[in-house]
Amino acid sequence: MKTIAPMQAERLFTHFLDPVDGTLCLPASATATDIHAQTAGHRLRFPLVLDPGATLREHTAAATHAPASCRFGPYCDNILGINWRLPGGRLARIGERVVKTTTGYDWLRFLLHSGRRFGEPVDYVLRLRPDCGFNIEARFEGDSQALRGCVSRLLHSGWMHWWDAVDFITQDAGSFVRVSIHCPSEEAPIFEQQLNRIAAETAAKLSVRHDAQPPLDGLPDVTVKTTPDRAISLAGQLAREAERCVALCYNGVVHVHLGEGEDMAGRAHSLMQPHIGELHALGGDWHSRWLPATPPSLTESQWLETLERTIHAS
Amino acid sequence: MNPLPLSSQLKQLLPRGRILDSPAQLAGYAADALGYKSYLPDAVVIPADADELVGFMKGARQLGVPVILRGAGTSLSGGPVAAQGGVVVHTSGLKRIREINVEGFWCEVECGVALNDLDAALKPHGVFYPPDPSSGPVCTLGGNVASNAGGAHCFRYGVTSNYVLGVEVVLLDGSVQRFGGPAGGRGPWREDWKRFMIGSEGTLGAFTRFWLRLLPLPEKVWTLRATYPDLRSIEAAIHALVAHSSYPAAIEMLDPRGVAMVETSQMAVGLPKGSFMLLLEIDGPPALVDARVGPVADLLRHAGSNDVVLSDQDAMRQKLWKARKAAGGLLGQLSPDYVVQDAVIPKSALADVLQLVYDEADAAGIRAVNVFHAGDGNLHPNFLFDSRVPGELEKVELISERLMRRVIEVGGTLSGEHGIGNDKSAYMPLVFGPDSMRLQWAVPAAFNPTHQLNPLKVFQNRRFAT
Ligand SMILES: Cc1cc2nc3c(=O)[nH]c(=O)nc-3n(C[C@H](O)[C@H](O)[C@H](O)COP(=O)(O)OP(=O)(O)OC[C@H]3O[C@@H](n4cnc5c(N)ncnc54)[C@H](O)[C@@H]3O)c2cc1C
Repeated sequence: MKTIAPMQAERLFTHFLDPVDGTLCLPASATATDIHAQTAGHRLRFPLVLDPGATLREHTAAATHAPASCRFGPYCDNILGINWRLPGGRLARIGERVVKTTTGYDWLRFLLHSGRRFGEPVDYVLRLRPDCGFNIEARFEGDSQALRGCVSRLLHSGWMHWWDAVDFITQDAGSFVRVSIHCPSEEAPIFEQQLNRIAAETAAKLSVRHDAQPPLDGLPDVTVKTTPDRAISLAGQLAREAERCVALCYNGVVHVHLGEGEDMAGRAHSLMQPHIGELHALGGDWHSRWLPATPPSLTESQWLETLERTIHAS
Repeated sequence: MNPLPLSSQLKQLLPRGRILDSPAQLAGYAADALGYKSYLPDAVVIPADADELVGFMKGARQLGVPVILRGAGTSLSGGPVAAQGGVVVHTSGLKRIREINVEGFWCEVECGVALNDLDAALKPHGVFYPPDPSSGPVCTLGGNVASNAGGAHCFRYGVTSNYVLGVEVVLLDGSVQRFGGPAGGRGPWREDWKRFMIGSEGTLGAFTRFWLRLLPLPEKVWTLRATYPDLRSIEAAIHALVAHSSYPAAIEMLDPRGVAMVETSQMAVGLPKGSFMLLLEIDGPPALVDARVGPVADLLRHAGSNDVVLSDQDAMRQKLWKARKAAGGLLGQLSPDYVVQDAVIPKSALADVLQLVYDEADAAGIRAVNVFHAGDGNLHPNFLFDSRVPGELEKVELISERLMRRVIEVGGTLSGEHGIGNDKSAYMPLVFGPDSMRLQWAVPAAFNPTHQLNPLKVFQNRRFAT
């Protein structure tokens, strides 16, 4: 086979909206509000939003998941491509604008939450989802056994695929389970029937709000990744030192909101210290947008240096 | 360099019975499912378990020859073949399903487990592992992870990289590293190294085991099949489906040439001559999918089909799938050789790119059949040819290059699920500019700097220098 000559310039993404493919390329400095302004007219949405006023770059720096990751997976499954500014200032194209690729090594997922060591995102290509125009927010309240029963029933059946979010929320006033649903309005009664069934089986109190906003908890101060079966109890423990904890139940993610105060970095660090051993043993992790990334081990440093040599040479 | 002959060196690393070196034995490992390009390895080793694989990898660097990991050898991109000679490591001995954790939605499996064996083990627990390449009865999870496999149900469920929580890998320095685990994070590492491992096509290390994410099984499935008279109307149906709130799990397409191939075979199912076939599935709780199936069928009709068949009964659903499934097998029977491309394009370019396939193939006198994952825009044009006929392979290569150039022009990419191997490596310069190409090369430079692992794959000139 003949050899194809190397390309002289990067094939960078330009800003676009492709309503057929459900993809949108826009600056990393865009907010969820900006995205909505572009997509709503096409009946499309980007569901992984934590704070409508925060930029996409801030979202991915603070968290790997959002409540709607229950249905759509983490940010790295919903951001398809990036124009990435290398430390030397040049731009490189990372990833694709199509929904599926196995062309080359997966720098996109590697870089997305890697902090600033390798440069920074300039533009993102987002995967959008159909906007059905109707949101339901359900809330289960009750004792801890009832709430755990609700979560188990919500997750361990085929319904799980259709909840946008199943979150266990712990705060001063107590705990509750929040379910958010995005569906055409004519399907709302079918979902509600299932929610009522779960409430009846678990003796939890159910309240349902129609045409609700999707959950917007704000950017977390600490993000923890564990297994789904450990997330609720971990959230309970962390909530003792925090204002609010949101466990994204299927994803095994806990978002910790520390509340107002001084020394966020110190608080985040001391909050997580007792849990690090167990998290690491499970292949989990944690990070805080207030703290720099942990220093690499010797082995890791060698790999990083090789990557950095190449990246800095660019 | 070790002065001993290769076979003696291998016997120091593994028990004698695990080493194959007779030409007849080696012939079985010369090609993957692509078939037409074959490379006889110098030896094949079959470690009995993870310890033996680790033991082998610890000594592999000293062998001074390439090392190629191989699962079931069903790759369609020239992945697990000894393109530069060397030792093929067959992972069939590592086939334990070590744990199924239903509450945590994860399982731990060894790399040689066949995909369908995992499915069967998960089913009684009411959970499943979604990636579903059609090679499921034999392909291994090691091969799936290394080539980031997809399948018919990717439109909603996604590909392998969406489900890998952790990877255990033996590197060429003999170290065993665990990236991630049941929780799916970074573990003690600063960076998320498993991301490079998934889809690395055997070029970074030997995977021993994985932690995989599971989902609850949908209770009910509706399968719908519709035929269309022309490309524009089936394209309209696909565009409407991808935007529909029922969010189908699968949206598959067979073109008229594929339909003709099925209908003139013993697998005929009565599809109208000259039609384009669309096959889709919606799944979920009965109350939900039963309410959705009517509107979805209406959508298919509205796009121009007067032939919509649907069923929620297993036996009938199998019948509806029959043409789609038969097409894959028939390709191999109809022609001595075939190349299947795996490009992904923005779906707005579907009709345009398919037309290019027809025009190019017809002009060259090469038979082309399209059977593919339309919901993802993941094309699989199959070019049927005979490598013994002088010039046929060259024609197919020329069509493939023109196709790839067009795919990149419309914003697509080379491979959606099969990987690059040595079949598509020549096209990599179409995708990566100077800086992104440097980034690509940095990854093997970190983990496999001499390119001893699976050389001449992914990049055409990635050669092991002894
Ligand atoms: C009839 C048919 C239908 C197919 N349908 C699909 C489909 O729908 N979707 C799809 O995605 N693919 C499909 N394929 C392609 C193929 O089955 C997949 O790529 C599959 O993932 C390969 O698995 P395998 O075990 O056969 O791996 P192999 O072919 O043996 O190897 C594939 C790659 O993985 C590497 N590898 C294997 N094991 C390891 C390990 N333990 N550690 C490190 N690297 C390793 C190899 O070096 C090679 O690069 C199909 C193939 C056939 C023949």
